[in-house]
Amino acid sequence: MIAAALFLACCGLAIAGALGAALVRNLFHAALLLGLSLCGVAGLYLFLHAYYLACVQIVVYVGGILVLILFATLFSADVMGRLQRTPRWLLALGTVGAAVAGSTAWQLGSQVLAARPAPAAVRETPPGHDVGAIGDLLLGDWLLPFLAAGFLLTVALVGAVATVRRHQRTREVAHG
Amino acid sequence: MAEFGPDSLPAYLLVAGVLFAAGVLAIGTRRSAISVLIGIELMLNAAALQFVAYDRFATTPGPQGQAAAAFVIVVAAAEAAVALALLFAVYKTTRDVDLESTRELRS
Repeated sequence: MIAAALFLACCGLAIAGALGAALVRNLFHAALLLGLSLCGVAGLYLFLHAYYLACVQIVVYVGGILVLILFATLFSADVMGRLQRTPRWLLALGTVGAAVAGSTAWQLGSQVLAARPAPAAVRETPPGHDVGAIGDLLLGDWLLPFLAAGFLLTVALVGAVATVRRHQRTREVAHG
Repeated sequence: MAEFGPDSLPAYLLVAGVLFAAGVLAIGTRRSAISVLIGIELMLNAAALQFVAYDRFATTPGPQGQAAAAFVIVVAAAEAAVALALLFAVYKTTRDVDLESTRELRS
């Protein structure tokens, strides 16, 4: 019962966040809604018994890529000006609402956790789905793609730095 | 059709499909390069979710689906870094990241 409700909540979070990110006009809000959608997908990974992938999704996607996109929104239009024009009472209302929602969720969560069944029944990982199996696969049969992914990351990051640096140097030459 | 719940494959496929459609919508209808970036991230996420879902409900579940999803995340990270560098270069040239008005990188 609780699992079904949580599943529906994760689905709704993922879908609503994605549609909002695609349709909202303010780019800053769109990026934040994308983060909401990514969190919903992380919840779905939990339901698929992909616990490691759920953690990676939160850390890399929400913690890394989303921060990059939020940083990129500063390049466009008057995002900062629009944020500063948010009325004070709305900010105060949002803070109070977040506090109430957080404490309610904490209470509900602790009660649910206190009434949960035996942990073995909850955390039953199907064979071949744990982190060890993924590591064996990546460093065994899939070693070449794994190394190629590392090479791709290195080339992409060095290329990104080189693109920005070269651009700055040509500007300095042009102005100096 | 199976019941819509955590143990039915169509539920995950439906969510992944909506995510992909939202990504296509974001790329097709917006002029800002950042919206295109957001759309690409949504589409990559839908693909990763399908990898994991199909693997979970396969006759012989294994770690292959999760490993493939990890590769998708790696590609997304590399793509975001390169895209941010390109956006920075375009912004330095034209002071905006509008795709319609951007014609060249060199000032």
